[in-house]
Amino acid sequence: MVKSYIPSSLGEALAIRAQESVIPYGGGTDLMIEAPDDASYLFVGKIPDIRKIAEEGEIIRIGAACTFTEITESSLAPDLLKEAVSRIGGPAIRNLGTVGGNIGNGSPKADSALIFFVTDSSLRLISNQGERILPVRDFYLGRKQTALRSDELIAEVLMPRTGLENYYYKKIGARNAQAISRVSFAALMNMSGGRIENCAAAFGAVSDVVIRRNDIDAMLTGKTIAEARALKASYLEQYDRAIVPITGRISAEYRKAVCMNLLRDFLESNGI
Amino acid sequence: MKFTLNGNGVEYTGALNARLLDVLRDEYRLTGVKCACKEGECGACSVIMDGRLINSCMVAMGRAAGSDIVTIEGYSKTDRFAVLDNAYASVSAVQCGYCIPGMILASECILAKNPHPTEDEIREGISGNLCRCTGYNAIVHAIQIASKEGSGLW
Amino acid sequence: MLKVRKYLISVDRFCLYMNRFGMGYYMEKICDSVIKLDHLPKTSGSAVYVADFPTEGMLFGKLLHSKKPHARIIDVKIPPLPDGYLIVDKNDVPGVNRVHIVEDDTPVFAEETVEYIGDPILMAVGPDEKEVLRIINAIDVVYEDLPAIISLRDADTVFFNYEINKGDIEKAFAEADKVFEEQFETGLQEHCYLETQGVIAEAHDGRMTVHGSMQCPYYINRAVAKVLGCGPSDVQIIQDETGGAFGGKEDYPSIVACQAAVAARKAGKPVRLIFDRREDMEFTSKRHPSLCTYRAAVKDGRITAMDIDVIYDAGAYTTLTPVVLQRGIICADGVYSIANLHVRGRAVKTNTVPNGAFRGFGGPQTFFAIEMMMDHIANNLGEDSLEFKEKHLAQQGDATSTSGEYHFPVPIPAMIEEVDNACGFRRKRAEYAKPQTGRYRRGIGMSLFFHGAGFTGSGERDFIKAVAKLHKRSDGIVEILAASTDMGQGLKTTLTKIVANELRLPLDRVVFDNADTDRMPDSGPTVASRSVMIVGELLRRAAASLREQWKDGEDLTITENYRSPDYIIPFDIATFRGDAYPTYSWAVNAIEVEVDTLTGLTSILGSYGSFDVGTPIDINIITGQMEGGVLQGIGYASMEQIAADAKGRIRNNNFSDYIIPTAMDAPNIKTMIHVEKYPDGPYGAKGAGELPIVGIPASYTEAMEMALGTRINHIPFTAEDTMKALQEVTAK
Repeated sequence: MVKSYIPSSLGEALAIRAQESVIPYGGGTDLMIEAPDDASYLFVGKIPDIRKIAEEGEIIRIGAACTFTEITESSLAPDLLKEAVSRIGGPAIRNLGTVGGNIGNGSPKADSALIFFVTDSSLRLISNQGERILPVRDFYLGRKQTALRSDELIAEVLMPRTGLENYYYKKIGARNAQAISRVSFAALMNMSGGRIENCAAAFGAVSDVVIRRNDIDAMLTGKTIAEARALKASYLEQYDRAIVPITGRISAEYRKAVCMNLLRDFLESNGI
Repeated sequence: MKFTLNGNGVEYTGALNARLLDVLRDEYRLTGVKCACKEGECGACSVIMDGRLINSCMVAMGRAAGSDIVTIEGYSKTDRFAVLDNAYASVSAVQCGYCIPGMILASECILAKNPHPTEDEIREGISGNLCRCTGYNAIVHAIQIASKEGSGLW
Repeated sequence: MLKVRKYLISVDRFCLYMNRFGMGYYMEKICDSVIKLDHLPKTSGSAVYVADFPTEGMLFGKLLHSKKPHARIIDVKIPPLPDGYLIVDKNDVPGVNRVHIVEDDTPVFAEETVEYIGDPILMAVGPDEKEVLRIINAIDVVYEDLPAIISLRDADTVFFNYEINKGDIEKAFAEADKVFEEQFETGLQEHCYLETQGVIAEAHDGRMTVHGSMQCPYYINRAVAKVLGCGPSDVQIIQDETGGAFGGKEDYPSIVACQAAVAARKAGKPVRLIFDRREDMEFTSKRHPSLCTYRAAVKDGRITAMDIDVIYDAGAYTTLTPVVLQRGIICADGVYSIANLHVRGRAVKTNTVPNGAFRGFGGPQTFFAIEMMMDHIANNLGEDSLEFKEKHLAQQGDATSTSGEYHFPVPIPAMIEEVDNACGFRRKRAEYAKPQTGRYRRGIGMSLFFHGAGFTGSGERDFIKAVAKLHKRSDGIVEILAASTDMGQGLKTTLTKIVANELRLPLDRVVFDNADTDRMPDSGPTVASRSVMIVGELLRRAAASLREQWKDGEDLTITENYRSPDYIIPFDIATFRGDAYPTYSWAVNAIEVEVDTLTGLTSILGSYGSFDVGTPIDINIITGQMEGGVLQGIGYASMEQIAADAKGRIRNNNFSDYIIPTAMDAPNIKTMIHVEKYPDGPYGAKGAGELPIVGIPASYTEAMEMALGTRINHIPFTAEDTMKALQEVTAK
C-alpha cells in the first residue's frame, strides 16, 4: 500500500516533504478528480500555522490551507479576493478548496490566482531549509508549471492591505454556478491627488498563464483622468496585441472579444 | 486514523488515499451517499464534514482524520430532518431521488448558516447540487417551508 | 403509513386558469396532492438503487469500448488473467448476438467491425473492480481503420425513409406570391440522469434474473431471452429504484442487460455492470441531432403549403430511430393547419453513438424548426410573429399533418392569453422590438406546441396490447399488477391514486411494487407519456369492475386489456395517414431574456408556460414534471453543447464540461396548468411527461433574436454564438 502522511505540525510536514516523494494535499478538489491509486499525499489542510488570515502592517497574510469559504467569511480578506473565491464551484467545493491548492496546480483558470496577479501579491514558500518570498508572477513558469521546489510548501499568500478597494471583477463561466472560468478579468484603479497611482489589469483563463502586463498598465501611472483618456486608444491597442487567447473548446475569438470589452468597460467605469 | 461517523467514533485502517465516498459506501455500507460523477461536480455524494457541506468524492481519507462526518443516514434521525422531510413531502420535491440525500444535507447547511434565508441564498446554497428532474423550484420551496415550520430548530 | 397532508400551494408556483368557457375550473378531488409513496425511502437514503446492492459474491464487469469510430477488429490481445477473472465476448453468446430493440442490428458484443467510439467489444469480469479495470486497460485491440462518417451532412447510408403527403403542394407552390426557404439545425443532448446505467444479472435454477435501472422491463425481457436462446419465461426482469431516465433508459438497458446476462451465464456468478459517469456520457444514447429544411409557399399573407425535409442523425445502429423519426416528421408542421404538406424524413447512419429516446422523442427537433420558420416568415412579411402564428392555428375538427383529425378542443388561444397575462408578453414584445443600444438588451419569445400523447400510430393496439391487473387479496389489500416503472415522474403515486380513488379506498390499502416480469403483466413500456393515460385508464376500469364485484374476504383478480377508442381514424404506417395519436397535450411557453453585450452571457428573466395535460392526477407531481421539462429545454437551447469531434470522439464527457442548469440558472420558471379533459383518460388525464420540453427552445431563441436583432437557426445557441451575432450586427 502506498503511504500517505498526516503531519501534526508544519515542521513534521516539511520534514516529510523533504524526504519523501509526496503530493501536498490541501482541500483535494483538484487532486481527487484523477486520484491515482499510487498517489502519496501529504495532508496539510488542517495545519493551523498555514490556515490563518492575519494582518501585519501593510500586508494581509492568507494561509495556503485557508478554504475559499473561510476567506469569504473573514473580515480581513480583501473584498476583491472574496468576490473571486465566492464564485468558485459551489458551496461544497468552496468548503474544501484551498488557496494553496488553487495556486499550486498552476492553472491559468485559477480564480484566486488572478487576484494575486492583479494585486502583485507574493507567496511565502517554505521548506525545512528556510523560506523565500516569490512574487506570484514569478511562481508561474508556464502551462501547469510552477516554481515550487520538491521540498517546498506554499505557506502563505502576502497581499497588500490597501489600494484594493476600487476594483473591477468579472468571471465568465458557462453557467451561474459550478462553472470553470472561460474568461476572468480583474482590475484595480487607485487615485491619489487627482492622478492615477496604480492601474492594474489581469486576464485569467485565456492563456497558459494569467496575463498581467505591468508595463502596459504603467502607461497610465501618474496621469490624470483626462490624460488617461487621451492614452486610452493606445492602451487598448497594446492589450489587444498582448492578449492572444489559446483555442480550447471555447473559441479564441470569443475570449478575445470578452477580454477587450471588459477592459474597455473597466476604463469607462473610471471615467476614462 | 480515527474520525467520527454519524456520532460514533470509528477507527479506519485502510488506505489514506482512498476516497471518502467509496469508504462510506463500501466499508461502512452507507449507501444513502450517492455517486453520480466522482469529480465534485454534482453534489449527489454530499456529506457534512466538521459542520460544512462537502463532496465526499473529493475527500481522501487522510483529509478526514479527526473530522466529524454526518451522512444522510445519521441526519435522518434528527428533528431538523423531520421538518425538512415534511417540507419536501408537502411540495412533492422528490422525483427520482438520486440528488435528494445531498440536497437534504445542503438544505441543512443553508438553514444552519441562516435560519431565514432569501430565495437567492437558498439557490446559492444548493447551487452545487445538480438535479435533472425537478427544475429546482419545488426544492427551493421546500427549504422555504422548512425555514418557516422549523423556527427554533435552526 | 404516512399521513396525507395537504399544503397550500403558493400562488407563484402555479395558478389555475379559466377554461375556454371562462368558467372557473373545477379540479377533481384526485388532483389534490398527496405525499408521494416513494418519498421517505428517498429522503432518508434507504431507497435501494442498483449500485446499492451488497456486492458480496458478485463479480464486477467492465466493458472494453471501441476507441475507433469505424474499424475492422484484426486482433484482441488479452493479457494473462488472474484466477477468477474472465473475458466475455461474442463467442459466449448462447443465442443471437443481437440486442432486439426495434430491429436487430445492435450487437451484444462487436463482431468483425466496430461502428462508433464506444461500441462494446468485450467485458472483463472478476471479483475486484480495480483489477477488472486494470485488465481492460491492458487489453490491446489491433484495429484496421475504415472510413468513418462523423457528420450528418457526410452520411451516405439512409436507415429509414418516410414521407407524409397531404393536398397538392406543387399547385400551391406554383400559385404562391412568395416562397421562403430556410434550414434549421439542432444538436445532441445528453440525458444526464443522476444515476448512471446499471444492471446486475444472476443466473439461478436454470433461469436468468436481471435487475437494475430501467424504464421497460418487458423490452429487456424479450431482448435477453433472444440473446440467451431461451424463452421469455426463463428470464425475470426486475426494476430497481431508478434515478432518472428521460428516455435514456428505454433501449440502452436492454444492451447492458444482455451483456451482463451472458457474462453471468458464463461466470456462474452474479455480474454487476454499472457505468461510471464519463463512460455513460460518452457512450450511451442521446437525442438525435437534426437538419431540417423548410420551404413555405405564401399566398395573400397565409402559408398555403410546406415542403419539409427532415434529416436525423441516427448514429451507428438503428435502435429506436425509426420511431423517433416518425414522431419528428409528424410534428413537422407544428400546431398549424397547413392544407398542402409534404414531409420527407430520413434517418442517416454516422459512426457515432446510436441515438435513442429523449423526452419529446423527435418532437423537439421539428418543433424548433417549425416555430422558428413561422417566426422568420412573419418577420419577412413584416408581421407580428404571434399574430401570424395565430392565423394558422389548427382547431378542433381540422386535419392533422397525417390527415387524421384533431378530435378534441385545441386550447392554444386561451393559453396564449394566460401566458400573456402572466408576463405581459405582448407589451414586452412591442417594447423590446424598438431599437436597443445599451449594454443589456432584452427579448421575449413565445412558442406554441403539442405532444402527441401515447405511442405513435397503431402501436398501442397492434404491438403493445397492454394488459393491467388488480389483485384483491382476501385481507382487502389491492395490488396493482402492471410493469410500468416510476423513474421519478411519480407513477407509483399517480397509478395508486387512480385505483384508490376509483375503489374509494385510502391510499394505504393499495399496493404497487416495482415491476417484476414474473409477477406483473406487460402493461407496455414506460414511454411516450402513455402510462397515466393508457395504463392508468386500464387500472381505473379494472378498479371500477372490482368495486362492482367486491366481496369482503374474497381473493379476486381483474384483468383489463387495452381497447382502442372508437373515434380513432386508424393509422397506416405505410402511407402515414390517419390519427397518429389518440389525442394531444398542448402548451404555450414564453421566455424573457436579457443579454449582456459585453460578455455574451444571457440571463433568463423568466419562463412562463401554460400546459394542458388534461386532468392533473396530482397537481404537485404534474407541476414538478412541467418545471423539470422546461429547465431541460432551456439547457437544450442554450448551454448543453456536446458533439463528436472530427475523429468521432465526444470530448466533453463529464459534468464539468457538459453544462446542465444549476439552481441559479433559471430561477423564475412559472407554470400554469390548463385543463382540457380527455374523455378516454382516467378522470380526464392525458400524456404529461414529455410535453414541457418540446417547445422551449423556440421560445428561447425567439427571445434571443429580439435581444440581438438577428436571426437564429440553430440550437444550442451559446454565449459564443451570441457574441458572434453581436459582432455581426455591429459590423452591419
